[in-house]
Amino acid sequence: MIKILAACGAGVNSSHQIKDALEKEMKARGYNVSCDAVMIKDITEGMLAHYDIFAQIAKTDLGFEVKIPVVDAGPILYRMPAMAKPVYDAVEKVIKDNGLS
Amino acid sequence: MDAIISFANAVFQPIIDLGAAPMMVIILTIIAMCFKVKFTDALMGGLKLGIALTGISAIINILTSAFGDAMTAFVSSTGIQLTITDLGWAPLATITWGSPYTLFFLMIMVIVDAVMIVLDKTNTIDVDVFDIWHLAFVGLACMYFGANLIVATLLVVFIGVLKIINSDLMKPTFTDLLDAPEANPMTTTHMNYMMNPVIMVFNKFFDKFLPWLDKYDFDAAKLNSKIGFWGSKFAIGIYLGIFVGLLGHQDIKSICTLALTAAVCLELFSLIGSWFISAIEPLSQGITNFANSKLQGRTLNVGLDWPFLAGRAEIWAAANVLAPIMLLESLVLPGNGLLPLGGIIAMGLTPALLVVTRGKMIRMIVIGAIVLPVFLWAGTLVAPFVTETAIQVGAFPSSVAAGTLISDTTMEGPIEKFLAFLVGNASTGQITFMIYALLALVAYLLIFLWYRREMQKRNAEYVKEGKCHPDKLVTGKFCDVPVPETVPEGAPEGAAASEGSTE
Repeated sequence: MIKILAACGAGVNSSHQIKDALEKEMKARGYNVSCDAVMIKDITEGMLAHYDIFAQIAKTDLGFEVKIPVVDAGPILYRMPAMAKPVYDAVEKVIKDNGLS
Repeated sequence: MDAIISFANAVFQPIIDLGAAPMMVIILTIIAMCFKVKFTDALMGGLKLGIALTGISAIINILTSAFGDAMTAFVSSTGIQLTITDLGWAPLATITWGSPYTLFFLMIMVIVDAVMIVLDKTNTIDVDVFDIWHLAFVGLACMYFGANLIVATLLVVFIGVLKIINSDLMKPTFTDLLDAPEANPMTTTHMNYMMNPVIMVFNKFFDKFLPWLDKYDFDAAKLNSKIGFWGSKFAIGIYLGIFVGLLGHQDIKSICTLALTAAVCLELFSLIGSWFISAIEPLSQGITNFANSKLQGRTLNVGLDWPFLAGRAEIWAAANVLAPIMLLESLVLPGNGLLPLGGIIAMGLTPALLVVTRGKMIRMIVIGAIVLPVFLWAGTLVAPFVTETAIQVGAFPSSVAAGTLISDTTMEGPIEKFLAFLVGNASTGQITFMIYALLALVAYLLIFLWYRREMQKRNAEYVKEGKCHPDKLVTGKFCDVPVPETVPEGAPEGAAASEGSTE
């Protein structure tokens, strides 16, 4: 199971759009992915340590070094397949490069 | 006419009689299908909306039941009349979406945005369907205070147009704050940024008289990192449960129950809020697909929800500092009836503070503290409307004592709520309110126009710094301030043609 963390302002709207899109698309590509959605302010170093990928909406300064691969997932929110595809490809590349499964 | 009304009643009354949640299942499913959403997806969305409405009602029941006695004791022991329960934004969103009028206002704003794009009055396509509820809330409140649907719709359109113009105005600032390439189409039509004009007034004051304060700014990310989970939703619920319990002279067992109940409810509000967004998702995608199919070949900015900016740590650092400040303000503010609880994290304000000040922490905190009372007063003002609407859409527990009010302390658009109040009352024909409403609308427009000019100057500076291009700015008419001397080659004629300076 590949664990992804998405985050947004309230942990409710944008992050859940990203979560749903990533889980659906990665499943279609044959990966076993589980994505959680949280408020950005609730992210701690300890929390991130439990995930394989951080799917951020935009460049995020969390106040500590993020040690897991980061993917800019904001373009998923445009709701246009052409803009979301590079995000899915980036996630897939991280999965392959890091041997995640 | 009687035949039409009879026919409509015959068709719709049985649906209305089902109750709010089943009614919204049917309405949302049908509307999504109108935008060519597949039936199963449309039905899934409709059912999720019904579930969200039912779920939020259950959580409000838990919260109000647990806090009812404690709040009564709190009032009697302290003498502070903070009897309105602050639920935060998620229940209010669900309550607002429980009204069919919200879908009507959504349809109106889809049309308005399309017309503005076609007429080249904006460069932003608004795909943030969910957050239309903020604007719909204003329209619904206006009707509650006495306006008819036409007047309420006019007010919604008036604010909605300014909101869309504002999204164009802010686009270069977003690009700057996110350090994103100019080609990034990200902007937002979110209503919290309609506080920008007021914040801009105070920011100008800082520019003129207190610029030296900026050198004491601190690292917001490090502050957030140090606060850790102590600033999380459930932790704040614990604090407030203890706070109310202690001041209400409750025993230790009751205090523990209050603290944990508040923590549970704050977490569940967000969880159920996500069901609700999931419910709207098929309709959002349908509208976006529809808009894209009609606007082929034109590059547009895309209006999203605000949180793409949430990666900026200043938003949360300011919210963390402003939370206790708001709590203290609520205790002494005349005319306030809200004790901050669900809305204590001031997300309705801090993104606007970030945009206007561009991340100057001390300005954000000082200006935030100054304008927070407006949110508390607005929340208090609309509490009877929120409570009545909650009852109408079945999101308020019948077991709660009559007269118990609910609202939100930091809901987006506080000034717009005062407009709704004034316009609504003016619609009933009261001369005094008509004068006040007119003055308020003129003042609202004038301050926005002044703000627009200031943002145009800022955008012209971005052009000079090479962070954006005048052709992008001219399209959508959000930078008609001149860009002299440094206008890049190939810029369209007129980009630097008007009078005035860039600062």
